[in-house]
Amino acid sequence: MSTKHSFWVVFGVVLLFPLVLLAQSSYRFGALPSVNLNVKLKNDWSTNFKIESRQQFQEGNFGAEKASGYSYVLTDYSAIVAKKTGLNSKLSGGYLLRFRDNQMVHRLIQQYTITQRLPSLRLAHRVVTDQTLSPKEKTEFRLRYRLATEIPLNGQSADVNELYLKLSNEYLNSLQDAVYDLEVRLVPLLGFTASESQRVEMGLNYRLNSFVSGSPSHSFWLSINWYIVI
Amino acid sequence: MFKNKFSKLVWVLLCTFALPASAQLKYEKESRLAVEEVPEQARNFIKAITTSKKVKWYLEEGLDRSSIEAKFEYKDHNYSIEFDSIGTLEDVEVQLKWSEIAPTTREGITQYLANECKKHKVRRIQVQYTGEPSTLLQKIVMGTTTFKYTTRFELVVKCRTSENVALFEYLFNDQGQKLSASKIVFKNSSHLEY
Repeated sequence: MSTKHSFWVVFGVVLLFPLVLLAQSSYRFGALPSVNLNVKLKNDWSTNFKIESRQQFQEGNFGAEKASGYSYVLTDYSAIVAKKTGLNSKLSGGYLLRFRDNQMVHRLIQQYTITQRLPSLRLAHRVVTDQTLSPKEKTEFRLRYRLATEIPLNGQSADVNELYLKLSNEYLNSLQDAVYDLEVRLVPLLGFTASESQRVEMGLNYRLNSFVSGSPSHSFWLSINWYIVI
Repeated sequence: MFKNKFSKLVWVLLCTFALPASAQLKYEKESRLAVEEVPEQARNFIKAITTSKKVKWYLEEGLDRSSIEAKFEYKDHNYSIEFDSIGTLEDVEVQLKWSEIAPTTREGITQYLANECKKHKVRRIQVQYTGEPSTLLQKIVMGTTTFKYTTRFELVVKCRTSENVALFEYLFNDQGQKLSASKIVFKNSSHLEY
């Protein structure tokens, strides 16, 4: 089999994999709006503040009647401090505060990113470790890897007043109370560079988890992101 | 109660931050051009070199000037030919390997970079030709010409000093002497990192 054919076979399997898991699985639909403020500081330091809210429109099991309608799920507030460690790399650390079901969840975040600039696109590799602490559950430890790319829809870079595609694929390994889980995220977004300092993005944030040792859970979030740089 | 008030306060603060950011005036844009939109003079120059349909045309718009650029592959090299907005040839750039530069030029460049950087790595090399269109056409198609033209080398170099590491664009003449240097500022990539 040629390399080209092998690629399409693998691509097809990856694409159809979630469909195979539809039987006996649950779903959630909702929206995930976020505002992301990035502040440049001196000596290659920067900070990032993010607010993300999660609203659920519907949930249930595939093949069955819908179980519930709209509900507000949570809001996350995070602050991350980053230091440029090389030409294309950054080391970051931060804290996330989550409000969910009238309780506060705390998360510590450590992150390393490498951004590659290729002739017609940008690629970003991100490795994150985080620890989630909540009053009712045992600490959750996660190891995440994300590959994200920005593909300009006009010219060789996404300039002001131009559209771009942002595609990302993330794998999240989680360990909580000796139980392992893997979550896979696929996020295709359409972005618009509104100015040198502002971008807006909208698209699907698809998440698949619990498929390693239970009934798969599919989440389909309408992702709306607003990025501001000052 | 506290959560709702806190949420509202943070959203209001973020919106306030966004207002001055939207007032920036910097304007620089590069976009694809359809071949029909390219001035005839520029199209004819490229046609004299290649009839390939893989020529990509771009419009580069700045605050004070615009230019048109044709990018294509020819004789195993990547070419980038720049014209002004009415199609007059400005320069020809050809991507090269380090080994394709003359030894004396290489020596001059190496010496300069060794003085400037503690450690360096050449990321991209382009030879830049300027001169009469007919002379440059002959140089591109025949590989040589007896008429006068100017040769310069544009290098993108990762340069590590004792203070930091940065990417620079250097321009050298054919003797390997530095003509200009500018630091490359990357576009913000926070949307790919967070």
